Amino acid sequence: MLQPLAQNIVYGILIGALYGLAAVGLSLVFGVSKFLNVSHGELLMLGGYASFWIFKGLKIDPFISIPLTIIFLLLIGFILYRLIFSRLIKLEVDKKIQNSLLVGFGLSTILQNIALRLWTADDRSITTAYSGTSFELAGIRFPAVRLISLGITIVVLISLQIFLKKTFTGKAIRATVEDWQSASLMGINIHRVYLLAFMLGCGMAGVAGTLVSICYSIDPSMGLNWTLKSMVVMVLGGLGSMIGTFVGGIILGVTESATAFFIGGNYRLIAGLVLFLVILIFRPQGLFGTKEGDR
Amino acid sequence: MLKLTEIDTYYGDLQALWGISLEVKEGEMVSLIGPNGAGKTTTLQSITGLLRPARGNISFDGHDLLKVPPDKIVDLGISMVMEGGRVFAGMSVMENLELGAYGARARKDRAETIEHVFETFPRLKERLTQRAGTLSGGERQMLAIGRAMMSKPKLLMLDEPSFGLAPILVDAIFEMVKGINKQGVTILLVEQNVRAALELADRAYVIENGRIVGEGSGEALLSFESVRSAYLG
Amino acid sequence: MKKNQTLLIALIFTVALALVPLIIKKDNLLTYLCMILLYISLASSWNILGGYTGQVSLGHSAFFGLGALATRLLWFTGWNVLLAMLVGGAVAIVFALIIGSPAFKLRGAYFTIGTLALGQILFATVGNIFPQISSLPVQDLVSYTLVSRYYLFLAIALITVLVAYLIANSRLGLGMMAVREQEDAAESLGVNAFKHKLFALVISAFLAGLAGGAFAFFQIGYYPQYPFSPIWTLDSTMMAYIGGTGTILGPIIGAIFFVVLKEVLSLNLAEFHPTVFGVLFILVVLFLPGGFMGLWKRIRDKQNKKRESVAELSHP
Repeated sequence: MLQPLAQNIVYGILIGALYGLAAVGLSLVFGVSKFLNVSHGELLMLGGYASFWIFKGLKIDPFISIPLTIIFLLLIGFILYRLIFSRLIKLEVDKKIQNSLLVGFGLSTILQNIALRLWTADDRSITTAYSGTSFELAGIRFPAVRLISLGITIVVLISLQIFLKKTFTGKAIRATVEDWQSASLMGINIHRVYLLAFMLGCGMAGVAGTLVSICYSIDPSMGLNWTLKSMVVMVLGGLGSMIGTFVGGIILGVTESATAFFIGGNYRLIAGLVLFLVILIFRPQGLFGTKEGDR
Repeated sequence: MLKLTEIDTYYGDLQALWGISLEVKEGEMVSLIGPNGAGKTTTLQSITGLLRPARGNISFDGHDLLKVPPDKIVDLGISMVMEGGRVFAGMSVMENLELGAYGARARKDRAETIEHVFETFPRLKERLTQRAGTLSGGERQMLAIGRAMMSKPKLLMLDEPSFGLAPILVDAIFEMVKGINKQGVTILLVEQNVRAALELADRAYVIENGRIVGEGSGEALLSFESVRSAYLG
Repeated sequence: MKKNQTLLIALIFTVALALVPLIIKKDNLLTYLCMILLYISLASSWNILGGYTGQVSLGHSAFFGLGALATRLLWFTGWNVLLAMLVGGAVAIVFALIIGSPAFKLRGAYFTIGTLALGQILFATVGNIFPQISSLPVQDLVSYTLVSRYYLFLAIALITVLVAYLIANSRLGLGMMAVREQEDAAESLGVNAFKHKLFALVISAFLAGLAGGAFAFFQIGYYPQYPFSPIWTLDSTMMAYIGGTGTILGPIIGAIFFVVLKEVLSLNLAEFHPTVFGVLFILVVLFLPGGFMGLWKRIRDKQNKKRESVAELSHP
């Protein structure tokens, strides 16, 4: 009884890391510009498909082609921001959040439809030569691809932390989150900060998508669930705390796995959503957040 | 150096400033005093571009400020210390000061400038790695001013630097501001603490309900009857 | 005079719509009309909470689904379908009452996301509990008439629009709009925001539940999960926005536009109508906040201004 449970928990942690990665992207955008991009899941999906087709067409190993995926998503982020989200900047906070949400939905509808038409509704998954290998420790299987994904996730998150903490641009971003007026008066171009944050958010969604296509599978309709998962984790971890968000992802992953184990696989998603509602209603600042939630 | 001519600024549909005209000459220390809600902060925001006046003219060193976005103001040499000792609370003292020199012009002289700031505010050097949010009120105000100094401004604008500070600190802060002025930085000081503002300033403007209702040298206004009764009680 | 005019036009339309099945015999055309009427009901009921009270809910499909589920279950066990529909509506009301209190603790975008999550929870749960397709038994298939379904959809649509109209023009509606504009200010004027929001939610839920019941009566075979799908919510929300939230005609126009556009596009752009609709939706949110109705109003205002200035010239 204990062994399958432990295996389950391990699987939960491994996928939870990806939840955390996806959520950090969403959290970054929301924290900086107060845009709730609910097409985040679709951007993740696009990242997954990009890797898939690069692998199919150019035969490049999906882990290695991650930089390509990132560039692709950065570009998309640039276009989407300039075309759509930049027009929401001037709104006051409440309207900004709400309208970005609505716009995000329109966008998710569009992206989902295009993906469906282009690539059919079939599940896709990247299978490499080493996709089946796994390591065993204490009788628990650790699939190689998921371990690598965990590693990549950690690398990406650490890189982001370093960027935000050590570089001037990163500091400019943090300053903008704290006090955009003062930041502006010190010469920081707020619009560029917003744009950069948005692009970074998209880039991270792309990486997460790649990892999902390798470890699990992707399909055009996956977006909404991933967006919701990202939001759950974002709220769990509290804004402004990357560690909190990562841990939040793990928590969600383990909650889902435990639910699947004790109740049934079909209830994975529901467990996460219920957790989401509970947190939203009773503790909107998340489990770790120190800043005030936007109420 | 700085000249406002007939500025009208609105908050949405509400007019907040009516025909504000004032001038700050190079090297001067000018105070803008008035009661709560008179429009002092609004005036400063109109200058920095965080609010756009609907009518009127603002020029600085020959530049038309109405055409300059807020993030370019600092490049022209205007720096502002906002109300309430606003600093980037989640970042360290050092990071705050660094960001003060964000613009290219100030960035290369950063090391030198920061030493200068430490001379004026030795307390900041002690607290270099501390998170700005954990500083005391007075220290935060010093950091805010020090940060503003990092951009090597020609004009330094301060919005109620004494607000919420203990009296001893208030004197210290004003001494520092006077010191900065002596070093050649032009100062526009917005203050509720009328006595101090008038004692320090070369000249002052009185603003009430969005209109300039008085102007004169600091001393002259101090002795002016209505100012006395209205503000000094 | 204006009011009587409007009433007259509405009456004419109603009668015309009632006479449609006598003229149109083609089944697929009648089905389109059924769909339009269904969407009108969904969009209008959404609009009561979202447009008039300003609480953008993305969980509308939950009520639609609950109504459909209850109706289908009861009807299949032999209940009269109309009674089953009323129970369906009642189930929706009960659900609305249960979630109302916790839901409205959330403001603005958080409410929206919360309702989205709630809708998804129901969608997934129903899919787990009722995974099998629900098919009309053979004997009912034989007696299936499209015309009766049409009239049912027409009745629901009329009721929904009528209720929306009555609310909008009542004191209650005024309170709702006050909550929408400035909730805190409204509260200080004595408007109990929570009561108004809850009432809007309950009415909205009931009407959506009825629409769900009509759907259960109409659709021959479907997965019980289907009416709970977020696609219903998103479509109704987009229709309301494109037509114009906070108006009576807005959702109607949006619904007609949606179905017609779908048809037009299916000839050329095949299955890309969600994309076109999504683009339109984004355009409306960004540039045309009042939707078609807002645009229409702006044009009319401009014309009135012209008329006034012309009148001034001739009567100095």
